[in-house]
Amino acid sequence: MAADVDVGPGPLRAMKRVLAAIVFWVLGRGLVAACRVDSRVRKEVATWPDGTVVTLEIAPGGPSTTVRLENGRLTALGGGRPVPATLLVTFKNVDGAFPVLLGMKSVLQSFVEHRASLSGDVGLGISLVRCLHIVEGYLFPDIMTRRILPAKAQRRVSHVHAYLALLTPTAELTTKGARS
Amino acid sequence: MIPAYYEFANTAKVLSGEGAIENIPFELRNLRCERVLVVTNKDLRRLGYADIVLSALADGKIEVGAVFDDVPVDSSVEVVNEVARVFGEQRCDGLVAVGGGSVLDTAKGVRIVLSAGGEDLMELRGADRLIGRFLTPLVAVPTTAGTGSEVTGVAVIKDTERHVKMAFASFNLVPDVAVLDPRMTAGLPPRLTASTGMDALTHAVEAFSCRQANPLSDGYARAAIDLVRGYLPRAVENGRDTQARLAMANAALLAGVSFSNAMVGIVHAMGHACGGAANVPHGDAMAVLLPHGMKFNLASAGDRYAELLLHLAGSETFAATPKAERAEAAIEAVRALLASLHESVGQPVTLAECGITSEQLPEIARAAAVDGAISMNPRFASADEILEVLKAAL
Ligand SMILES: [Fe+2]
Repeated sequence: MAADVDVGPGPLRAMKRVLAAIVFWVLGRGLVAACRVDSRVRKEVATWPDGTVVTLEIAPGGPSTTVRLENGRLTALGGGRPVPATLLVTFKNVDGAFPVLLGMKSVLQSFVEHRASLSGDVGLGISLVRCLHIVEGYLFPDIMTRRILPAKAQRRVSHVHAYLALLTPTAELTTKGARS
Repeated sequence: MIPAYYEFANTAKVLSGEGAIENIPFELRNLRCERVLVVTNKDLRRLGYADIVLSALADGKIEVGAVFDDVPVDSSVEVVNEVARVFGEQRCDGLVAVGGGSVLDTAKGVRIVLSAGGEDLMELRGADRLIGRFLTPLVAVPTTAGTGSEVTGVAVIKDTERHVKMAFASFNLVPDVAVLDPRMTAGLPPRLTASTGMDALTHAVEAFSCRQANPLSDGYARAAIDLVRGYLPRAVENGRDTQARLAMANAALLAGVSFSNAMVGIVHAMGHACGGAANVPHGDAMAVLLPHGMKFNLASAGDRYAELLLHLAGSETFAATPKAERAEAAIEAVRALLASLHESVGQPVTLAECGITSEQLPEIARAAAVDGAISMNPRFASADEILEVLKAAL
């Protein structure tokens, strides 16, 4: 029997997954870069216990990104979940994650809508959300973030400076040169 | 208001009214429980409240494997583990919790431990985390009318060794049955009746105006506020007023369903911080801070507060107040209720009356700015902005 209902475009969803993997890569690096250039993120990350491993992923078994805080150094470990997470954010499906990854919806809003589950310390999770909002302020133009973020993005450095910082996958919490 | 997407669950069966407790055995059999562990505390045992439940269980031929009455003021992981051990030792198959927030949190913690089967509780912290776990049946019998814990999917348990408060949030944690019997709150002193009632009111007002509000949680919040308006002064004035007691128990439950789904905001963030810094009782902090939090949120949630005027002040006042003035009038209605409770039982109206000094405010503001509840507040609030709100409340 031919299905009358559109069960969802498979190829489109596959494309979404590929794109999600790319954005996740940028997001992991972005968090580390923001930690270098933005004192607010650095302050947040400084409250995380050493050994914290944060993973954002899409269920089931979709793309992911992992960052680790070790000896005061935040490192982007990329996808594939190379180490077990101590704080795991799992989007329930790729469609729910997509608007967040494209900067059309804040991470907070995705939690509000129960589109992601959180495993680990809830307080740490909320700290991560605050960091990601700042990261989104660098990754996306004001015209987008104005609609989704709790407050107008206040950049401590320019977009260009932040994008350049993306090239380095680690950040020391004690970095002297970091601007605030 | 209709959100683009929301989720809502209220899975507790509610028994409400005199004699509700006598129906617990039927509900336990329905849950396939024959031998239960009763969790409560020493005071409730001494005052005879636990006995009301125990005699109903005996009448209903439900075996009681053990009564654990050693729950402290803050539920800790040691106590949770101890209760779980007794549960296993006595081969129990269900939990009956009789008490306030800490007893119910302890029982929820026991459910998590029992489902974890040796796993470290620490590994199960989080939100929407307890997926696919079939938890031990839990019947909740609240003895205050405020926390709404009998219908919420949240538990906070202290890890005394690691000095952290572990938070668990999951729709799976909601008790199976919530039992509201006016006998259980009849002896609550007037002052405590007032502050716990203001906690329930705060749950409803915050849930109605927070980011996660939705038509279902709104319905519960409106109904809760109507009951608080009609019955809180009566329950405070005469604790033996059975109708008022039952109404307030319902108000707390309705507000609990509402905020379990829609969350709370700045008032709770500040209240948690006041509790942490100066041991201010939760209800007292809520009562003092609610009008101030509403004032701060006016710019973002004014339309929502305007709607609440109908429930906070009644239809006559609502109709007589021009639309543009309704939000402010809603705050005034809260202030008026608080003032009447101040008059009748000395409910504090300032933080200073709660024992807080101006030197403590910056620390409280910093703690509130990183509290989980602040992220759900309709308006973004920095530590500096929170400090101003606290100063106004001092
Ligand atoms: Fe509360």
